[in-house]
Amino acid sequence: MISTFPVANRRSRLWLGLVLLLAIAAMLVRHKTVFAQTPDQLTIYSPQTTYSVGILNLQGKLYVGIVDVLEPLGSIEARPDGKKYKVKFTPPGGHAVEAQFNDGKEKAKVLGENLKLPSNFFIQNGRGYVPLSSVPEILTRLFAKPVQLHAAARRMFIGDITMRFSLALDNSKPPKLIVSFSAPVNPTIATEPGRVRFTFHREPVVSNGQDTYTFNDSTITGATFSERDGLAELDVATTAPEQTNFADGGKTIIIAAAPPPPPPPPAATPAPQPQAQAPVATQPKPPAQPRFLVIIDPAHGGTDTGAKITSSLLEKDVVLALARRVQRDLYNQGIASYMLRNSDVTISLDQRAISTNAARPALYIAVHAANTGRGVHVFTSLLPAENLQRNGFLPWDTAQAAFLDLSGVAAGSVAAELENRKLPNMTLLAPLRPMNNIAAPAIAIEIAPPDEKVENIASAEYQEQVAQAIAAGIAAVRGKLPEVRP
Amino acid sequence: MMFAVLALVAIGLGIYALHLKQKVAREAQSAQAEPVTPAGNGPPEPVTLYLASDLDGTLGKTQVNVVLPNERSERDRAVLRTLLTEYLKPSSTHTIGAGSDIRQVYLMDDNTAIVDTNAEFADAHPSGVLAEELTVASMVMTLNANDNKVTRVKFLVNGAERETLAGHADLERFYEAGNIGAVVRDLQ
Repeated sequence: MISTFPVANRRSRLWLGLVLLLAIAAMLVRHKTVFAQTPDQLTIYSPQTTYSVGILNLQGKLYVGIVDVLEPLGSIEARPDGKKYKVKFTPPGGHAVEAQFNDGKEKAKVLGENLKLPSNFFIQNGRGYVPLSSVPEILTRLFAKPVQLHAAARRMFIGDITMRFSLALDNSKPPKLIVSFSAPVNPTIATEPGRVRFTFHREPVVSNGQDTYTFNDSTITGATFSERDGLAELDVATTAPEQTNFADGGKTIIIAAAPPPPPPPPAATPAPQPQAQAPVATQPKPPAQPRFLVIIDPAHGGTDTGAKITSSLLEKDVVLALARRVQRDLYNQGIASYMLRNSDVTISLDQRAISTNAARPALYIAVHAANTGRGVHVFTSLLPAENLQRNGFLPWDTAQAAFLDLSGVAAGSVAAELENRKLPNMTLLAPLRPMNNIAAPAIAIEIAPPDEKVENIASAEYQEQVAQAIAAGIAAVRGKLPEVRP
Repeated sequence: MMFAVLALVAIGLGIYALHLKQKVAREAQSAQAEPVTPAGNGPPEPVTLYLASDLDGTLGKTQVNVVLPNERSERDRAVLRTLLTEYLKPSSTHTIGAGSDIRQVYLMDDNTAIVDTNAEFADAHPSGVLAEELTVASMVMTLNANDNKVTRVKFLVNGAERETLAGHADLERFYEAGNIGAVVRDLQ
């Protein structure tokens, strides 16, 4: 058939075919690129919590999942209804508010009022995505609070929570740079030759209007504030080794020259006179207060999706939603907690155990979900009890063995609270990683559907009941689990 | 014009190739989903199976008669294949991955059995803490019930270690039958 075409020779046909294949390949590559998800994250600071959501780059426009943004801030029900996407959001202790979006359209409604998005809303795999630049307007309407978006820095602030700082150089000897904040901070500190860098991951620290400082000092020469990639940084330029101390309950950071190494004591000299004023760094720290910290581990995340609960519901998403509810309910019970992940990121099992053990929590709780069975399964580690000293070195593979009795107490308390709420539950031993590596009381929760409708596993009402039972179970056992010094 | 015709031909060929590929994949999956059958000769022997149920998360003990090979590791392999055969039946109350099979059972001097499963056993296993635990517990207990010299079991997948079965059950560890027995008592 091809021979009937007026193409004279075989070589021309070959070239045409090749060009065609290249064109098809280019189209396929382009298609894939258009829908590629960048690993970009937006850090959101709110009065309740700080968390991250993924940013989707669609043909050069940035989008975020509306459920991802709202979920940590209250109860949310979202469902696609044909081309429409309806969102019902209830803040803690508040009234439900509604928004409606339309797939492929800029037109939206928030609290019954029209809103024109800067680009089309779209639904992908059952999730609704709004343009990043429209989020402040949507949230301002929903919360009736000011919302600031620092788009280039990937940071957003809900309410009047931004934290500013001031810098003052004290020219005493040695000179000190005093950085004061309006609330306690806990930055990561990195010391490199020529600078000390403070990275604020969770604090809503923002610029006070001046980002570059120059000091008339030979050792502390300047400082620069910047924000990028969902965090803020303060770089202090130095010409000599510096050391950092916190004061005023964490509201003040003092950067001063590190004391020189002590000279070797001479053989026969009189006893040294006590110094009139000891350097800041050598002052003994007051003993830290014991505290009751719960580490919440929403299992899976990122490339590890966990179980496929339904065709559009993944375990990693279900457990993150439940974990956030547990954290909120623990907060309401006056219990401090920390989430090992608060966004869709990949964390290895070993890393989860390392982070948990480093935090020295009073309790570790892993959160899982499954589409088989009913109700809630509460697990402790399947390990033979060993006579291990809790305060000594523990073998990595069986570290949990030293805490099995306390883990059992916590599991029993959570199961009792589930029972009180008439939620079907089972308490079992399980060979579940990384529980065996946790050097603290540890339990795992696996939430299964409440009834024959598997998708009900994600219903706000069911998840809230389970979360409240877990938080109440932990609160009830608080006096029986040892508080730990940080 | 000619470009358009060539494009149509190329697209048509692409669709046909995709169709053929999907057909081959379907046939391969269908063939793999067939329950495995134990090999052996001689009269049938009673085999104790610990069968899991996803409906209520329990393990139940049952007995079937199966022709078993004479060699011990082959017998153990046949016992486990019998268990998997039960799970692969449409009437099973516990789901495992289609095409699951036991490649080999290696018996060590210290009462340890190394059970080497095929890749489908782990790759296609439903993910879940309880679902995976039921599979592991039922295999360890079934092996121990039919060969009481086996008190310790280690799982390999396609000849190699794997971190977890399907995201939850730890496959890097050795399972003690005595320890699993405590789980089974909870599950019965």
